Amino acid sequence: MSTNDQSAAATAEERIVRITVNGTAMSGIAEPRLLLHDFLRHELELTGTHAGCEHGVCGACTIRLNGEVVRSCIMFAVQADGASIETVEGMANNGVLHPIQVAFQEEHGLQCGFCTPGMLMATQTLLEENPDPSEDEIREYLSGNICRCTGYVGIVASVKSAAKKLSVIQSNANGKA
Amino acid sequence: MSTTPTESLNTGLNIQTMAEADDVLGRRKYIGMSVLRTEDPVFLTGRGKYTDDVHLPGMLHAAFLRSPYPHAKILSIDKTRALALDGVHAVYTEADFEPILGHFVTTVHREEVLTVDRPIMDSTVARYVGQPIAVVLADSRYLAEDGVDLIDIQWEPLEPVMDAEKALEPDSTLVREDLGTNNFAHIEFQRGDTEGLFEGAAHVFSKRFHHGRFMAAPLEPRGVIADWDVASDELVVWSSTQIPHLIRTFTAGPLGIAESKMRVIADHVGGGFGMKAHVFDEEALIPASSKLSGKPIKWIEDRYENLAASLHSKEMIIYLEAAVDKDGKFLAFKGHYIGVGGAWPAHPWTSLIDTLPAASLLPSIYDIQAVSTQIDAPLTNRCPSGAYRGVGWTPGHVARETFIDDIAREMEIDPAEIRLMNSIPDEPFVSVTGMKYDGGSYSASLRKTLEMIDYEGLRKKQAELLKEGRYLGIGISPYVEPTAWGSEVAKANGFAAEFFDAANVTVEPDGSITVTTGCHNHGQAHYTTLAQVAADTLGVSFESIRVIENDSSQAVYGTGTYASRTAVVAGGAIMRAGKEVREKIIRLAAHAMEVSPEDVDLADGIASVKGVPDKSMTMAELGFMSYYGGSSRVPGVEPALTSTRSYDPPETYSNGTIIAIVEVDVETGFVDLQHIACCEDCGTMLNPMVVDGQMVGAISHGIGGAMYEDLAYADNGQFLSASLMDYLYPSTTEVPHMEISHIETPSVVTEGGIKGMGESGNIAAGAACINAIADALSSFGKIEINKTPIGPSDVMDLIRGLRGAK
Repeated sequence: MSTNDQSAAATAEERIVRITVNGTAMSGIAEPRLLLHDFLRHELELTGTHAGCEHGVCGACTIRLNGEVVRSCIMFAVQADGASIETVEGMANNGVLHPIQVAFQEEHGLQCGFCTPGMLMATQTLLEENPDPSEDEIREYLSGNICRCTGYVGIVASVKSAAKKLSVIQSNANGKA
Repeated sequence: MSTTPTESLNTGLNIQTMAEADDVLGRRKYIGMSVLRTEDPVFLTGRGKYTDDVHLPGMLHAAFLRSPYPHAKILSIDKTRALALDGVHAVYTEADFEPILGHFVTTVHREEVLTVDRPIMDSTVARYVGQPIAVVLADSRYLAEDGVDLIDIQWEPLEPVMDAEKALEPDSTLVREDLGTNNFAHIEFQRGDTEGLFEGAAHVFSKRFHHGRFMAAPLEPRGVIADWDVASDELVVWSSTQIPHLIRTFTAGPLGIAESKMRVIADHVGGGFGMKAHVFDEEALIPASSKLSGKPIKWIEDRYENLAASLHSKEMIIYLEAAVDKDGKFLAFKGHYIGVGGAWPAHPWTSLIDTLPAASLLPSIYDIQAVSTQIDAPLTNRCPSGAYRGVGWTPGHVARETFIDDIAREMEIDPAEIRLMNSIPDEPFVSVTGMKYDGGSYSASLRKTLEMIDYEGLRKKQAELLKEGRYLGIGISPYVEPTAWGSEVAKANGFAAEFFDAANVTVEPDGSITVTTGCHNHGQAHYTTLAQVAADTLGVSFESIRVIENDSSQAVYGTGTYASRTAVVAGGAIMRAGKEVREKIIRLAAHAMEVSPEDVDLADGIASVKGVPDKSMTMAELGFMSYYGGSSRVPGVEPALTSTRSYDPPETYSNGTIIAIVEVDVETGFVDLQHIACCEDCGTMLNPMVVDGQMVGAISHGIGGAMYEDLAYADNGQFLSASLMDYLYPSTTEVPHMEISHIETPSVVTEGGIKGMGESGNIAAGAACINAIADALSSFGKIEINKTPIGPSDVMDLIRGLRGAK
């Protein structure tokens, strides 16, 4: 088989991938080898999710897929067909920052901003699973998300602050209900 | 060898005139406040614009074929199969670039330093694993990498030069035949009667230390996009760089384009740490590829490329000697610094950015009478080596401070005490190498850090725990950080350079203020901190200021951000320009309100007549008047409320102390880094929150270099740290909680008393960790740690060695 034939065969294998991203139905074309982060970033133009290592170590590409934290750099786009995905772009509400985002600004939880989207996705999931985590629990949970700027001091403080903010919101909501 | 170049440096006569804008601090409202970062919402909402987020119509994607060999001759390159692949548009090698792309010529302007002149893509000889040999342009990165796999190359492997000390021997294989030697530079420095002091000393100590090879490894790797418009002959380059204007200056020549027709954009950069303060081959090759192909080209570095082939740092073999009197007083130091360079000197700083600063800072905070240093800079078949946060101050510091702990143990003096008894006073001081420290808290910060950890109490606890078979260790590391890289501090570190940076301050028609500088914001919060400086300088609100950097066509020319320089250099330039603009605003307001300028005050963006509170004008009124006010403006005076001023600061040095506390598990070698305490002194703090962030961030790098990160090569030259599973970043579970405190000793020489900061964590934390590990193991016998990083197996080797020695 000539190289041209191989390339033609790859094109014939392209799939339409349909996913729900941040509540909106979206679709795009992916050849089977296209990684999910490339699909999100370059096919759907959601560039908030970043690629830092492409082998699932650094956590910059962290998204939520059907509510679970996943690495979008070690998953193919075609594997996500039909899934519901959450990315950093869905966190703020029409320009109003989510309490977790506010906490990261107030506690200096970011510097260059490159790890931040993945860090926010992981934090959101942690606080859903464990609304009042200890410092050790925070450090253990976020140990798969690398930050090269902050030395993690501001990030840990941000997560603690976010937990407080969310618990106040929760208790206010309970009070009203 | 002539000593002329070093004699012309550090004469003590190059102190500049005192600061001009000395009244700013008297009316400060924002400087010193932890103002929240205005940068953050963009990043928090995923709207950052990093290089890979830019997409241009018709853009092709580049992938490099990189050498799998450390040293090899390339006998032939056959592109046929690659070009036949559907979606591949071009394959370029050295021969294709040769007609349109010049060379990189790299040196440091000293007579002891050689010059390397090389093609920017060398497709004839591979000299390190990862060297670019060819580039493929295709419709996608995936296809470009397919194309790389289809290039057929005949290699003839050659013997690699890997041992840096053997590379200096006369019969060594040469990394570059054209140089005739592997030693890029041999530099000697001598002050005081070193030999006499060594001869008369009660004690002479010596140590060989091999500092490890580690790197910035920013989370966003490098990336370059080039769009060369062949119709207009204009070039726009996006690059993940800290030095957009310098990229323009250093690549426009080889690319054959006028700087005025070239624009470099580095909008958002995901960490740089000095690595991205270099001019990389790809930053010329991608624009050249755009010119050859007529298409916009994008190249985004992957993690393998970043680890193997961007820039390594800090590996150094250091021989130290100390002459010490009978009481433990240091008399003189000698140091020989052998920098383990790569295949060629990193452009433009070279590997001397490690060795020269390491040697220059040998005395640090210690009051010694004489010093002798030597530097050698062997090339090896490794990735080029250059600047990374803390440059050579880091390995020099780790070697010196571990040596001092060795001496203290040998002489049975407490490691804090031996440092305090040898420290310079807490006032301006000229070190024996000629560095002009501008006042600090050299011993006060050490005392304060000892208080932070309750040093005496902790020593008692350590003794108690030892009885239970638990091994606690305390590591002390006081530092001085040369900062604000301008002409004077460059010279103090052995680099003869004269340059400046600038800022422009302009009042817009609506009274808002635009500030631009030639520095670069990639995490340091310049848009916040420099706005604090501008607001206080002018007397306007923080919210009315917008700071612009990161684009060579939007901001004034400058050399970028590196070497803890921006707060001082850009801050000082803003103070100078802002002071002039403030005077212009006041003059305009005085004319409009028919009073004398001395009677006008400008605060919070309101120009008011002193003593007449209801007689005032807003910045909106004054801004509009300056542009469109016609005859109501000051007659005979240039109407624009603008100023561009440059600033090339005198030498300025921050200081502090870092202490690490560890517990070592002597059965497994695991080191539990339990706590870091630090007292830092960077003079006038612009924003304490940002200072703390820089401090803890840099400390985490120092922890990485001391205990985890290692760019390892096999003896046969193969690169062994090619993924983040091999190259270990510290994560939340390796970096402990840290406590940071401050002493503020304003600089006596800079604008606003500001000193730079941001690297000292990486300079000093590693030594604190290593000293803590040695301290924890000192009960086993005479311990000396002589390398980094120290992982669990190294700890076990140390323990076995000590047990065996008994």
